[in-house]
Amino acid sequence: MASEMESSLEASFTSSGALSGSSVFLPPARSRIFKIIVIGDSNVGKTCLTYRFCAGRFPDRTEATIGVDFRERAVEIDGERIKIQLWDTAGQERFRKSMVQHYYRNVHAVVFVYDMTNMASFHSLPSWIEECKQHLLANDIPRILVGNKCDLRSAIQVPTDLAQKFADTHSMPLFETSAKNPNDNDHVEAIFMTLAHKLKSHKPLMLSQPPDHGVTLKPEPKPVMTCWC
Amino acid sequence: MASRSAQGDVPTSGRWDDGAETAGFNTKRKKKLAGIYQALNSDPIDVAALRRMAISEGGLLTDEIRRKVWPKLLNVDTSDPPPVSGNNLRQMSKDYQQVLLDVRRSLRRFPPGMPKEQREGLQEELIDIILLVLERNPQLHYYQGYHDIVVTFLLVVGEKLATSLVEKLSTHHLRDFMDRTMDNTKHILNYLMPIIDQVNPELHDFMQSAEVGTIFALSWLITWFGHVLSDFRHVVRLYDFFLACHPLMPIYFAAVIVLYREQEVLDCDCDMASVHHLLSQIPQDLPYETLISRAGDLFVQFPPSELAREAAAQQQAQKTAASTFKDFELASAQQRPDMVLRQRFQGLLRTEDRTKDVLTKPRTNRFVKLAVMGLTVALGAAALAVVKSALEWAPKFQLQLFP
Repeated sequence: MASEMESSLEASFTSSGALSGSSVFLPPARSRIFKIIVIGDSNVGKTCLTYRFCAGRFPDRTEATIGVDFRERAVEIDGERIKIQLWDTAGQERFRKSMVQHYYRNVHAVVFVYDMTNMASFHSLPSWIEECKQHLLANDIPRILVGNKCDLRSAIQVPTDLAQKFADTHSMPLFETSAKNPNDNDHVEAIFMTLAHKLKSHKPLMLSQPPDHGVTLKPEPKPVMTCWC
Repeated sequence: MASRSAQGDVPTSGRWDDGAETAGFNTKRKKKLAGIYQALNSDPIDVAALRRMAISEGGLLTDEIRRKVWPKLLNVDTSDPPPVSGNNLRQMSKDYQQVLLDVRRSLRRFPPGMPKEQREGLQEELIDIILLVLERNPQLHYYQGYHDIVVTFLLVVGEKLATSLVEKLSTHHLRDFMDRTMDNTKHILNYLMPIIDQVNPELHDFMQSAEVGTIFALSWLITWFGHVLSDFRHVVRLYDFFLACHPLMPIYFAAVIVLYREQEVLDCDCDMASVHHLLSQIPQDLPYETLISRAGDLFVQFPPSELAREAAAQQQAQKTAASTFKDFELASAQQRPDMVLRQRFQGLLRTEDRTKDVLTKPRTNRFVKLAVMGLTVALGAAALAVVKSALEWAPKFQLQLFP
């Protein structure tokens, strides 16, 4: 499967190279890539979560993300090497309207993040979900909901049952975690790995039956899938 | 003058000749200092000369000079009382929460050795300046990254003067970034690829095939590189340059950085992630003086007016991309990138004359231009022309470049 994809990739680059007059581009064998976009309000911890997963630690200091940042990590799932690409987006509203759009292309999964200590960031979720719907044509792309900063126990504003109810309404699994607390380190790891496993098993399922988690509230006609093998 | 023409040979090799540089360095520096003070002391102040000094090698040299010259470049009268507000802005401003979040996190912008208390004091001042400028100019909208620009002024000229300078800058150079939407910012980013195309079509085509977009340069543009460069000296050097030039100069500088990294880009996998990742990690050891003179040179050779049509065509191409988005999405869901690319290229070829234009345009044309560039990079000529365009632009303060 992977090798077939590689060869078609090469073919495409060769042809585009000939078209554009650039040199022929032959990449070495590459692993499959899962592209995941991480969205949510400003300061909910998108950068810290992606950094935790890709670098294995909490960053010393992070700044506002301007536009879109990119991190990746290679993992092995059932003996297959897979690259997980995380696209970390700016939280401020003005950036999403015209800027982030480009990065919704080809995403395989979406991670919505809110700050458990900030109710406003939870209340913004419906608009993020709506926006995501507008950008993504495929309705069955795996989406998960992540509540961050669960280590700040005394400051929690978003109760778990409320978040769970919301997640159920939108047919998303909910994870509560902390990018900062080392005890929850495995948790961040587990979240993205769960997603990666889901993605790995997602595609074959799409051929014959709807994905098990993908029961949407408003089922829309799915694009007709032809075999891509 | 002799040393200046010797300098002119250097940029074509892409490096700065350190040995030859150190020899005449002190003499040149002294000469420049004298020139700057002469321009400052002449009556009326010779702003054109100050612009030339801000652009040419080394820029304005010290923060002490910057405190004197930056107001002149922005036409700010330092004897005017600084703007104040009678309101409690922290309670009234709709932007306060966002500004607070961004400023609190902007620790990297302050000198590493600075005591915590001093830094926190400056951060409070930073918040005040931003809120004040926003209050006085309700047509301006805060964006993440604006704080990276304001902090540079705060650190160089102090709170009072920074407020006046930032206000002027925000209503002029930064005006387009502060619109209600980022459409105009996007439009300015659309100049990037046409500039690259003029100089290096191969690199341009590679980047187009990778569909890397231009967002990797967004933070460069809207923070004037303040967000991405860790050495403050480099940041202020660039600010000297940008303050003296046309507001579109930062996009020329962005293009020059990409062009400078040509080989790295071409060695990269031809996909969005790889190229975006490479380009958004800006090298910290860039040969700034060389790149500044190249950017000035490119501006002269391919002024914005000449690129406007191509930039608009980019917009058009994006529209085409959007209309074929459905096919694109479907094909990619099927994990057949080759199909996607082919469809896209066919789509572009069918509908976009521009693409055809680019493909059939004789390459030699550009090589001729490149050769010319080698001859004119010597700062003198380019800087003069850049200053000229800056002056033409400055008195009118016309920032409504983009209808």
